[in-house]
Amino acid sequence: MISLRNVSLIYPNGVHALDNVNLEIAKGEFVFLVGHSGTGKSSLLRLLYREARPTAGEIILDGIRVDRLRRQRVPALRRHLGVVFQDYKLLVDKTVWENVAFAMQVTGAHTRDVMRQVPRVLDLVGLSHKSRMYPGELSGGEQQRSAIARALVNNPKILLCDEPTGNLDPSNTSEIMELLLRINLKGTTVVVATHNQAVVDRMRRRVVRLENGRIVTDEERGYYYLGLGQGQILSG
Amino acid sequence: MDWGRVKFFLGEVLRNFTRNASMQATAIGTVAITIVLLGLFLFVRAALAGMGAHLLDQIEISAYLKADAAPAQVLAIRHFLTADPRIASVTFVPKKQGLAELRDRTKGVIDTALLTENPLPDKFRVKVHIPEEVPAVAAGIRRLDGIENVVYGQTIVARLLQLGVVLRRVGIGVIVVFLAVAGIIISNTIRLTVFARRREISIMQLVGATNLYIRIPFICEGLLDGLIGALLAVGILAIARATLWPRLLEALPWVQLNTSAISPAMLVAELFAVGGAVGIVASWISVGRHLRT
Repeated sequence: MISLRNVSLIYPNGVHALDNVNLEIAKGEFVFLVGHSGTGKSSLLRLLYREARPTAGEIILDGIRVDRLRRQRVPALRRHLGVVFQDYKLLVDKTVWENVAFAMQVTGAHTRDVMRQVPRVLDLVGLSHKSRMYPGELSGGEQQRSAIARALVNNPKILLCDEPTGNLDPSNTSEIMELLLRINLKGTTVVVATHNQAVVDRMRRRVVRLENGRIVTDEERGYYYLGLGQGQILSG
Repeated sequence: MDWGRVKFFLGEVLRNFTRNASMQATAIGTVAITIVLLGLFLFVRAALAGMGAHLLDQIEISAYLKADAAPAQVLAIRHFLTADPRIASVTFVPKKQGLAELRDRTKGVIDTALLTENPLPDKFRVKVHIPEEVPAVAAGIRRLDGIENVVYGQTIVARLLQLGVVLRRVGIGVIVVFLAVAGIIISNTIRLTVFARRREISIMQLVGATNLYIRIPFICEGLLDGLIGALLAVGILAIARATLWPRLLEALPWVQLNTSAISPAMLVAELFAVGGAVGIVASWISVGRHLRT
């Protein structure tokens, strides 16, 4: 589903964000990208939704060469991707319903489909009863759930999350992670960049660790720290 | 027809338009002023051109015959003149009539009774279809046998023809400058609204909106700026036409302002077209600049 081959990314200011990264993610997988700030997690995601282009290497998403994609084709790519951010990126002057519907409307979707699809995803994230509220009236967790609903409304095959729980307290964090897990169980490939150790350790999913723009470890059912759960670090 | 989509779209345009109301008001006001100036200029230009054309229409060639011209020669000249397709009319003015006309024109200034004999020669009075051809026709007549002299107000004709050329050139220059000013103002306004909405634009791009889709509301915004500006301008011009125009005519009775050549509907349509086109082009450019980066 997602394939990076010998991918390097050097920003114009000379920073080496990614250095010869190779990564294969299968359809339906749930993958954590972990590492300290500035190790290239966000950069890797940005390459996937084509906010940046690699300096070298190939990126293939669902059979599409993203690194070679022409500019006019980018909107079509993004309709097949859901992207969720730490700061939610909701429009503050639109209601939850409007924010979610917006993602369909700007792609020229038919109103009939919007009316059918928006309630479905709002129900999935558990916000049907708050669909008429504005982002400012919601908690952080609810705002992030709105953002996830928006990311899902176009039925993407892949959901990319960049620090989705970065601004949330522990209880909202676990709510969001459970939601992502449920979405994953429905068949969507989910990639989560995070430095939230507790989340990673609790979920026990595939963990890809980045350091200085390189993948240093890649474990099935891994912990945030190599081979160690939180408890083990505290005790040892 | 998907009315929900139309509603969403119009809602977006209206929301964006009203959100930066003060900025839009500035843009509309400046566009209106620009278009008022443009309208005034077009009007003055048309009036001046009309005045020039009116004067040119009155230009006639006087072809004076030699005193000793034989009747056959005079007849030949008349044939030559009537055969020329550029010439509209030919009138023979015998010297008696010429003197009578002179007497009428100079009544109280020159006492023609003092003349012991008629000093005027016979002449042909020639009118030409197209004013620009007067000099050429006159030169042709001058070469004929039996013609003493040809007079047609050479200096005035040359000046008027020159005025026409100058008006046309200056007119194009002034219009280009006006349009550029209006375009820059609208484009700046749109750039500010684009900047104010850059977050929204980036979100639209993230969820897969095409550039055209992102662009259209801004284009509509620019179009609205231009059209509302033009509407205001037309209103101001109409009021000016109704209140100031009669007074101007009163104050300047000697000015032969011929405004019949200006069709008000045409002028209004032109001003609206100018406002709308400038709005579209300006906003297209300023949004495009943002989308590329």
